[in-house]
Amino acid sequence: MAEDLVLDTAIRDWVLIPLSVVMVLIGVLRYFVSKLMRSYQTPDPKIVKEGQVILRARNLKSAANFIPPKSFRARRIYLCNEENGLLHVPKGQAQNAQAQMFSDPNMAMDMMKKNLSMIIPQTLTFAWVNFFFSGFVAAKIPFPLTQRFRSMLQNGIDLSTVDVSYVSSRSWYFLNLFGLRGLFSLILGEENAMDDTQRMMQMGGFGMDPTRSLGAEKDNLDIIQHDWVLSKFEQRAEATLRKLVKQ
Amino acid sequence: MVSKSEEEQLNRLESQVENGGGGAWEYLCLIRKLKIRRSDNVLKYGLTILNDPKKRSSIGNDEWTLYEQVAIAALDCHSYDVAKDCIKVLRKKFPESKRIARLEAMLLEAKGLWEEADKAYSSLLEDNPLDQATHKRRVAMAKAEGDILKAVEWLNKYLEIFMADHEAWRELAEIYVSLQMYKQAAFCYEELILSQPTVPLYHLSYADVLYTLGGLENLQTAKKYYASTIDLTGGKNTRALYGTCLCASAIAQLTKGGRNREDKENQDLHSLAVTALEKDYKKRAPSKLPLLTSTLRSLKLSS
Repeated sequence: MAEDLVLDTAIRDWVLIPLSVVMVLIGVLRYFVSKLMRSYQTPDPKIVKEGQVILRARNLKSAANFIPPKSFRARRIYLCNEENGLLHVPKGQAQNAQAQMFSDPNMAMDMMKKNLSMIIPQTLTFAWVNFFFSGFVAAKIPFPLTQRFRSMLQNGIDLSTVDVSYVSSRSWYFLNLFGLRGLFSLILGEENAMDDTQRMMQMGGFGMDPTRSLGAEKDNLDIIQHDWVLSKFEQRAEATLRKLVKQ
Repeated sequence: MVSKSEEEQLNRLESQVENGGGGAWEYLCLIRKLKIRRSDNVLKYGLTILNDPKKRSSIGNDEWTLYEQVAIAALDCHSYDVAKDCIKVLRKKFPESKRIARLEAMLLEAKGLWEEADKAYSSLLEDNPLDQATHKRRVAMAKAEGDILKAVEWLNKYLEIFMADHEAWRELAEIYVSLQMYKQAAFCYEELILSQPTVPLYHLSYADVLYTLGGLENLQTAKKYYASTIDLTGGKNTRALYGTCLCASAIAQLTKGGRNREDKENQDLHSLAVTALEKDYKKRAPSKLPLLTSTLRSLKLSS
């Protein structure tokens, strides 16, 4: 049955290749449009400082055993005390990220711009593909696949008898949408390539509360048991030297 | 930090460029990437590219980056005219840029016009208080002026915001050591050890500072950090070996007769350090061996 299906070469010339080319062109275009619309926004000193405090607290947490107990305690008090510790967040002050977002019109504007450059071209291309190319097989991959891939590769064709290694045009669109990252990084340079999957993840991570991570670091620091490893180092140094002297 | 393979690559490119084999642009890019200070070479080869319109246009938009790089290198080499020309070209291209404004301030600074440069930096920082490079320039300028206390002040202000910047901590530590403010320096070195616990250099410097501070507790701690340096370097660090000996002798003097428990446990360490030192001297500088023995004898460590 699989052998009977022969794809017209016109499909290759007028669907498969144009679709990929259009996807690439749209990707490049979108990159330049978003570059145009990108606004440089000065970071808030408070947020920068919070990031740095968290970094320092993490360093302290991970390397606590390398400094003398006295120094460690001094640092912990500096970071965690209830009056003016850097990691301590007063209860009323922990403002909601959501509220902050709405109070700052720039932020909302930025998000909208991002959305515009992402969603509009995507909808348009999807509509275009749907309108012109829906419902037929555009390509065949050269190896067999299990039935589970049917929903991924044959989106838009509701035939259960077609072999799974055939790819429908709409699925080809999706494969291109998510798979062109490597090509973009070649065209636009390593760090400029940003594919949609990543963008979507970023959207999901938006609105994280920085004060919460401050609190989490504080809790982490509070429960650390300080165990100075330097006394062990003396023995280790002895062992090292013994070995060195014996050589 | 520059890795070994990168350094090799750099040296290879350098000799290639010196012998007229081309690749000047790649060489300059590598220098920029690794943040290495080879200003004379940058100036020489950068100018050959910039003065040749064909070569200049072949690098496209990176031309401006090169102008900036050459300008900074020229400042470093005291060729102010070249720097001025580069900055002028950049200014024409980017009339509003803050980055160029910083370059202009650096030109003032290089010429020794401290007050004007300071004014320029301050106004830049007013516009963007989170500009790390400008903050650091201001510290460097205060240091160059000889106004160390001001440098400390700026650096502290900088570290208040960017407290995870370990290079700034290192700078501050070294300044404090030069000012003989050892307690503050010790704090900075602790901070450095926290951020990079496996770098023996910081352990060693911390131990040095603690030894200089003196006092039984500090000496014991210093000895521990010398020990960790020995361990981290595999016993190859002569300074750490000497430090162990000095600490042991100082501790012995302070706790005359009444040896406590901890000392008994670790009394092998300094005798081992002495042996290691002697062996090292025998191997590498046999003529100085008597000097070592007499020094160690004066510390009452060598038997």
